[in-house]
Amino acid sequence: MAAADVTTGGNPDRATTPEAVRRAYIVGGNRIPFARTGGAYVKSSNQDMLTAALEGLIARFGLQDERIGEVAAGAVLKHSRDFNLTREAVLGSALSPETPAYDLQQACATGLETVLGLSNKIKLGQIESAIAGGVDSASDAPIAVSEGLREILLDLNRAKTPVQKLKIIGRIRPKDLAPDAPNTGEPRTGLSMGEHQALTTAQWKISRDAQDELAFNSHRNLAAAYERGFFDDLITPYRGLSRDSNLRADTTLEKLASLKPVFGRNLGSEATMTAGNSTPLTDGASTVLLATEEWADEHKLPKLATVLDGEAAAVDFVHGKDGLLMAPVFAVPRLLARHGLTFEDIDFFEIHEAFAGTVLSTLAAWEDEEFGRDRLGLDGALGKVDRAKLNVNGSSLAAGHPFAATGGRIVASLAKMLHEKGTVDGRPARGLISVCAAGGQGVVAILEAA
Amino acid sequence: MSTPQPVVLGELPSLSRLYVNAAATAARRRVLGANPGGTRLPAVSHEVHNVRADVENLTAYQHLVGETASDTLPAGYVHALAFPVSMSVMNRDDFPLPLLGMIHLRNHVEQRTPIHFSEALDIRSWAGNMTGHRAGTQLDITAEVRSNASGELLWLGVSTYLAKGVFLPGIDKAGSASGASAPADFSAPDPTALWQLGLEIGRSYATVSGDFNPIHLSVLSAKALGLRGSIAHGMYLASRALADVGAAKSEAFTWDVGFEAPVFLPARVALDIATVQSESGTWERSEYVAWNPRSGRRHFLGAVSALS
Repeated sequence: MAAADVTTGGNPDRATTPEAVRRAYIVGGNRIPFARTGGAYVKSSNQDMLTAALEGLIARFGLQDERIGEVAAGAVLKHSRDFNLTREAVLGSALSPETPAYDLQQACATGLETVLGLSNKIKLGQIESAIAGGVDSASDAPIAVSEGLREILLDLNRAKTPVQKLKIIGRIRPKDLAPDAPNTGEPRTGLSMGEHQALTTAQWKISRDAQDELAFNSHRNLAAAYERGFFDDLITPYRGLSRDSNLRADTTLEKLASLKPVFGRNLGSEATMTAGNSTPLTDGASTVLLATEEWADEHKLPKLATVLDGEAAAVDFVHGKDGLLMAPVFAVPRLLARHGLTFEDIDFFEIHEAFAGTVLSTLAAWEDEEFGRDRLGLDGALGKVDRAKLNVNGSSLAAGHPFAATGGRIVASLAKMLHEKGTVDGRPARGLISVCAAGGQGVVAILEAA
Repeated sequence: MSTPQPVVLGELPSLSRLYVNAAATAARRRVLGANPGGTRLPAVSHEVHNVRADVENLTAYQHLVGETASDTLPAGYVHALAFPVSMSVMNRDDFPLPLLGMIHLRNHVEQRTPIHFSEALDIRSWAGNMTGHRAGTQLDITAEVRSNASGELLWLGVSTYLAKGVFLPGIDKAGSASGASAPADFSAPDPTALWQLGLEIGRSYATVSGDFNPIHLSVLSAKALGLRGSIAHGMYLASRALADVGAAKSEAFTWDVGFEAPVFLPARVALDIATVQSESGTWERSEYVAWNPRSGRRHFLGAVSALS
């Protein structure tokens, strides 16, 4: 456990006293198919989609009129009127209206963080059941008035006399009328997420071919999972869609190779990131049902997996010390060390495909001796991820990535995979989840088959 | 009632054309001074087959009345879907009552089974039960909605309308005392909700429902028909109350509303919704009543009840 002393922020002894806390089980999940922006869900709001995913979960597990311990979900692109998004979705669902709920937001890690936060409450004995989730709509994104117009409108609201009001209205200039739409730019750097990743992709010398191959595998694996009915008990159709609309089952490496680069075109090195090896803007929602063993048994519901533990990390990306989306690179070794685990002990790797370059840069960093020594405080490289265990049922490049909904998609799918796998060498099958997020953050987690 | 003869229409009639036609008929009857329609209801039913909801329109409807945009058609949306067929019955040359200016007294809906938005529907509508009312003549327009695939009855609606001041020979005017009980009977409870309805709500509901009756569209168009201002659609108000009852209700339910004082726009409407549960705690019924918080006059009342 020498490495653990160097890399854990917390107490390494924690892993040796699991008896003190209860286990949090994943009972199952439900999501709606993810739709490319401007597609099937173009007029559906975040609340509509989250409610649809929740209603499917309620129907699947017979939760009508059930008072759940707590529901937590969130959205990254969120209207200010949706301050109580999750609670409103609960009130619009068949759950007992006496079910409390809260909103959470941690960029693309939102969904996974709701699972970890609620699992911790279950482990601590605060609640017996919980629903975690997330939703995002790039189609129905909030658009704000310009900062100039906003200040004028607020002043106008405070004005008392008609003369004051006229004076304030006279301050409006044509440029104030331009709306302020959300974008994926980092506030501190002005670079879009794609441009940030292009820097990292170039830094780790990730080839165009390798990125296209990862994207190809994502589509192939997701299509195969649909074909064998893997998603039959994980998805409820919505608005006429029964599969993720971004999925291209017939895509080929040649087609992917023919796409023009869209990010990193102003870098000195070759631009390698295309619309094919980057995730598109997507609309969708996901939910996960969590419970104690007793609650699941009482309700005659399955126990697919347990939430073993999670870890968050952040990197100093602002001046380029690390890449924007590289925080999981640091979170994973800390989490593994806390439990005395190595990559050999992991049977499924679920690394969120924000961009193919993100996954490949992450893997490259873990395989790098020097990086392992200098940055991770290890004896050498963290290890090599067996590609046969990576995103075996597809990931965000094929499914799409409605920001806050991705965590729930991955947790529910991985829990099912672990349950099907059962045990490996006499121990429960294990899966590692890694999700990068804006702001240089990342959240990772380990699930174990139940 | 004798079995009405079916008339199958090729497609859903255009409501705006029906209203124009109704206005022309009203003008013609005023000039001729006679009622060429006679005193009997036409013994026909109008049918349109293979009707499907338009998703974009459905979503707009759901958002306007406060429903979540789910894949299940709200019962009020089905009413709006069937309404052009009902209107076409009332717009026939042999229909004895003037369509324009008719007052919606009551509405009864049976939602037998949830309807998925993609389901192909057969809609049939006919008129019946014409009786005297102390203020004129009332009748029921029934619409039924069946699955095109299985023929199963999914939804049934009965709308009771009053042709005010129209007394037909042979119809007993002393008839039913149904309709409104005296407003004096009503003492407003503490409200559970307060709706703020803008002037635009009539036009907004007209856009999603297709019901462009001029009394709902603007002060001017309403005044042309003798009202002092535009009024909210009754089915908009009832649909919002149904949305407020929300997911608590069972899959199959009845939905009743009785309309009293019209809601002149813009308006504040006070509402009380009370839930009635069985001893085991399952939902049985939600009762609602709405009134003008300033005058205390009752606008409408009704209930959503489990249908077993």
